[in-house]
Amino acid sequence: MNKLARSIAAVSAALACLGAAAADKELLIGVNDSLTGPGAVYGLPQANAVQMAADEINAAGGIKAGGDVYKLRVIANDDKANPTEATNSVRKLIDRDGVKYLLGFCCSGPTSAVASFIERENALMLVGNAAERAITAKGTPNLFRTRPPADFTGAAAGAFVGKRGAKNIAVIGSLDVGFYTQYLEAFEREFAKAGGKIVAKETFGLKDRDMTPQLTKVRALNPDALLVLGYVEPSAFVYRQATELGMTIPRYGFTSGSEEQFLRVATSEQMEGVWDLRPTELTVEALADNAKTYVANYTKRFGTPPSPSSPYAYDQVYVLKQAVERAGSAEDPKKVTAEVRKVTVPKEAVMKYLPVGGTMFDVNGQAYTSNGAFQWQKGKWVYVSDLPSDPALYSEFLRGLRK
Amino acid sequence: MIIEILQQMLNGLAIGSVYTVIALGLTVVFGILGIAHFAHGSVAMSGGYLTFLFGERLAIGFFPAMALAMLVGAVIGLLIERLAYRPVRDAPHINAFIIALGLTMMVEGINLLAFGADQVVIQTPYRGVFNVGGVAVAELRLLVILTACTLIGVVALLISRTKTGKSIRAVAQNRPAAVLMGINVNRVSAIVFSVSSALGAAAGALVGALLAIAPGVGEGLAVKGFAVLILGGLGSIPGAIVGGLVLGVSESLAAGFISSAYKDVIAFMVMIVVLLFRPEGLLGKR
Repeated sequence: MNKLARSIAAVSAALACLGAAAADKELLIGVNDSLTGPGAVYGLPQANAVQMAADEINAAGGIKAGGDVYKLRVIANDDKANPTEATNSVRKLIDRDGVKYLLGFCCSGPTSAVASFIERENALMLVGNAAERAITAKGTPNLFRTRPPADFTGAAAGAFVGKRGAKNIAVIGSLDVGFYTQYLEAFEREFAKAGGKIVAKETFGLKDRDMTPQLTKVRALNPDALLVLGYVEPSAFVYRQATELGMTIPRYGFTSGSEEQFLRVATSEQMEGVWDLRPTELTVEALADNAKTYVANYTKRFGTPPSPSSPYAYDQVYVLKQAVERAGSAEDPKKVTAEVRKVTVPKEAVMKYLPVGGTMFDVNGQAYTSNGAFQWQKGKWVYVSDLPSDPALYSEFLRGLRK
Repeated sequence: MIIEILQQMLNGLAIGSVYTVIALGLTVVFGILGIAHFAHGSVAMSGGYLTFLFGERLAIGFFPAMALAMLVGAVIGLLIERLAYRPVRDAPHINAFIIALGLTMMVEGINLLAFGADQVVIQTPYRGVFNVGGVAVAELRLLVILTACTLIGVVALLISRTKTGKSIRAVAQNRPAAVLMGINVNRVSAIVFSVSSALGAAAGALVGALLAIAPGVGEGLAVKGFAVLILGGLGSIPGAIVGGLVLGVSESLAAGFISSAYKDVIAFMVMIVVLLFRPEGLLGKR
């Protein structure tokens, strides 16, 4: 009898456990990012960051919303920084895998392609590092972006360089890429206010690696400074080849690459003194304790330090968590989307966001971080100063583009 | 202005010398065996990756690593000749053509599997910059030009001064006659492929040090190599040298004085113009 009672108790306990396990629901996150190819310097760290945040949330018991507990599962697809691949990848995530929450998105070309049709889908799209202004200019209701648009930063950068006394600046960059031209337009406007002039605009392609012809041309114009706008790898080649051509003028840039990424191409001596004028991304000196923990955890887990822009994707996961908690369920992406509009900056966020009207995202679905001036000093990026920026004013301007 | 032109020409010479090494590998194969070896660019990339790998793992410095990669490249060349081209040597030309295309995809795929999709830059300790009358001469670029010159010299000597070279020239002139004179065509063919692939590996290493290697770069190099071949004259070694330098310098001048977006267009326009007046190429034989 005793044995029977024990068996019944054991079976009931097992069933109870099973019941508890069944109450745990799965929240599927689809990451679309550039895991290979020219955008991988931004995309792969973003995908890693999403996985890390998801694992942290799962380890802490998952997302508790309403009566349910959601455990996160991440599927990551590679768009190779290619718009067609991105469209196919997102279609697969939505149609085949049943994903309702799309995260990642490091690069503007593929992100713009997905942004063009995402409004028709019953899904929420959170964009990370992609900086093209048009992505949030349309005010797509189910699209939000954690990174500020390029021209928000470009204006602050132009004022900064103007204040440092440069009068004639030569620009070399991927000027056939929308967000770099937007950065440059805003830069030029503010730089002109400080009495500066752009004396040359030279272009290079995303896959170009020999920029000595353009640099030789620029060198002959004797500018006071050089402004480099491009992905990490071609930009690193510009910095390296500028020193190989004996150019010693100040070099400013907009690249968001980590030390390791630059050092794969150029030496620390060749990088010495280079400025990066960008959103105040991951630099331990510039950010709070969350950033330090993030860097330590990421480095421990992936064996390499995170790229400066990767927390845009990490923070997306915590935005989603807060929105699902507020909505009380993850079943309806529309409800969750409505709550994303109301989220405040999550306490786990790594980046320094500047809320507009108390919420993390403005009416355009756009978040803003502060901008900063970083300089390469003895092998690493050092945060030197803040670049004054006005998110409320920019938000109005972005809203105005929709008219 | 003069300094700018000289600087642009020097920039172009560094790239042009790499094109020359690539074209030299192609021209020996084409001139002697009549095969358009499209996979040469991908073999060059393998050479670049191997140089990077040897340099990192064995910590032996750039040039020893490049020499090792050239040795491996020579073995790859032997294998390609024996397994891919020799079986179709007496078949219609289209067979070798299709095999060359297939081989390109295969080698590119193997590179991707073995070395990944990331860009690789070979780090060298040659970082000095010399100023010669206002023209900046980077140590690395100078070494690339010198290495290319050495390789070109060695190949020229091999072909013009050695017994092996004599048999290579004999096969190029008239294969049936060479066979009748007792020359082992299989041996010549194997030597030509190993020399060509070793040159390719060296070019890959130079590209990796000067710029970067990544998937897709090899195909671009093969296209440039064939352009040089046509510009200089099919099968002509001096033609490959002149053609490579002309292409490199015209690209650099075009990027510097017109627009970088049109540098390839202008380089190929130079090729078309040359061919209009000299259809056999700059140094080709009528």
